Amino acid sequence: MSVRVGIPRGMYFYKFYPFAKRFLMELGAEVVPSPPTNKEILNLGSRFCIDDACLPVKVYHGHAEYLKDKVDYMLIPRLTSIVPREYICPKFGGLPEMVKYSVDGLPELIDVEINMYKSRKNLINSLYKLGTIFTKNPYKIKKAADKAAREQIIYDNCLLKGELPCKYIDGTDVSKNNSGPLVGIATHPYLLYDSFINMNLLDKLSNRGIKFILPEMLEEKIIEEKCQIFEKRMFWSSGKDLIGSALYMFENNNIDGILMLTSFGCGIDSLSIEIIQRLGKKKYNKPFMVITLDEHTGDANFNTRLEAFLDLIDRRQAN
Amino acid sequence: MRLTYPHMGEAYIAVKAMFDDLGIESIIPPYSTENTLRMGAKESPEGICLPFKIMLGNYIKSIEAGADTIVITGSCGPCRFGYYGPLQKLILQDMGYDVDMIILDPPKEGIGKFINNLRKLGGKISSKTYKAFIDAYKVCEKIDELNQVQYYVRPRTKDKAKVNNIIHNFKTKVLTAKGTKEISELIDATKNQLLALDIDKDMNPIKIGIIGEIYTIIDPFSNLNAEERLGNMGAEVHRSMTVKDWAENNLIKPLRREIPYELEKRLSKPYLPVLIGGHTQQCLGHAVNYALSGYDGLVQIYPMGCMPEIVSRSILPQIEKDYDIPILYLIVDEQTGEAGYQTRLEAFYDYVEARSCRRQTIIS
Repeated sequence: MSVRVGIPRGMYFYKFYPFAKRFLMELGAEVVPSPPTNKEILNLGSRFCIDDACLPVKVYHGHAEYLKDKVDYMLIPRLTSIVPREYICPKFGGLPEMVKYSVDGLPELIDVEINMYKSRKNLINSLYKLGTIFTKNPYKIKKAADKAAREQIIYDNCLLKGELPCKYIDGTDVSKNNSGPLVGIATHPYLLYDSFINMNLLDKLSNRGIKFILPEMLEEKIIEEKCQIFEKRMFWSSGKDLIGSALYMFENNNIDGILMLTSFGCGIDSLSIEIIQRLGKKKYNKPFMVITLDEHTGDANFNTRLEAFLDLIDRRQAN
Repeated sequence: MRLTYPHMGEAYIAVKAMFDDLGIESIIPPYSTENTLRMGAKESPEGICLPFKIMLGNYIKSIEAGADTIVITGSCGPCRFGYYGPLQKLILQDMGYDVDMIILDPPKEGIGKFINNLRKLGGKISSKTYKAFIDAYKVCEKIDELNQVQYYVRPRTKDKAKVNNIIHNFKTKVLTAKGTKEISELIDATKNQLLALDIDKDMNPIKIGIIGEIYTIIDPFSNLNAEERLGNMGAEVHRSMTVKDWAENNLIKPLRREIPYELEKRLSKPYLPVLIGGHTQQCLGHAVNYALSGYDGLVQIYPMGCMPEIVSRSILPQIEKDYDIPILYLIVDEQTGEAGYQTRLEAFYDYVEARSCRRQTIIS
């Protein structure tokens, strides 16, 4: 029987799952992702995680707790940096420890560090380190990594064209034959694609006939370019994606409004949203709304605010 | 040019001394009060950490007092501190203040920019600059010593008010003292005043180490004078990070090509093997170090939402178990109430004291 490796469905799951899955499968492991977030997982998360962590970290704890008895290994990579000279967020770097000391009875953790701060080449070393858990044959690891990289490129291109990760990973989809206004949604992937914690936002928009554009649909070049306006380089890749895509959405005339989701206690967002708001207010005249999510967010008030935002867009268009 | 900078604990004393020596006029923001914090919090983003709000309040007060240039250090680490400067600049501009902001990023972010910034500050870089810098570092060392004396004297003396008085006088006088020499003398005089107080030398107070986020532990306003409160209850406190430590590890050691924070990194390694930003490794390393040095309890203080300290907060319970040392976790923000804070510190003090008494009985 092959080894079962669990991957909690949280944090950057929707960014790197195809890569991790293919890589581990090629090495002969069976990959077990946790199911999409549900009430039980969220409750487990808020029970085991420390109080003042942000929502995605809590959700991640829930997934880890849910998976722990079902697998032989658990993959919690330490994503210190995934773009040279940029970090993601300190919590990504300390994630294996946060989970390790909060959840009891975990299976063996695969907490390989991925740190491309100095150079992208460091990834190769990390992959060899990860691969040696399953095989001693370096050629096999190399081949698995190549196949995984190819899979990841296909996935990224799909997202770029406007597909949603859920179609690729779970085979479900949101209808896209809409003719309504175009809304830009600038937020982190762990809030955007987790339909439980964002109250089914994408479905709700789609059912109202609204088209949306997401940060993953923008090319890296565009985001990079928009962030050039700052004197100081943005040293968080998560913040850069957010600011870059929001500024693009402000500038693009086809986009009728911008919606931002943030989780309570998100450090990066507290800065970047303020920057976006201040720049947006000064230069552009577009409907813009921030919704803060946490584990107590209720469906009804979420709907009310979403409706108000959509009404605003409608009214602008009518005038 | 009239320069201003945030307090950063006692760093303002050393920085002021240095600029005095270099002949640059500096305006120290009035000591932080509720009002400072309220002014800062009003203009700050809601979810940002407490130091940002206090600093912004400090700047506003300084600008009102006539400052026209703000100087702060920057960083490009994963902690939010690195982006304080650019955002604060944006906010101050939006508020209609016309100030120049000099952000000293580490030289590795671009040596040209760094030298340019230094030029803007002090004209030419000469041996005089170097001497002023070294003298300022010595002032830091002296402040550290003054604090150590205060930690020693406070629990042992009966007249706590006198200690407060001496420190208060020092804080008033230091604003008018000029240059490293005068300030050093003032610090020495204050130290002697403290040592002249009547103390109970046989007393064996419990020892509490303070760990956590650097700004909130070195700035007494942001932690509601936790050191003073614990000292007055009768505990000998020790603060894990000081301005001198910061300067030593970030400025002096790299120049000497020594490894900064060697001890802390070694001790924290079993719990967190890599640097993730902020002072997580230092916080954990100090926690282990205090436990090994026989401290009775630890207090971790950090601002609400601090990203690196949330990671240490989730690891500390393991250290608590491994080394059998109680830890009190205090999270501060602009909503922190004084009474609740005092109650928790008192409860913690009582618990630690009872625990150490029991331990001593078992040993004897």
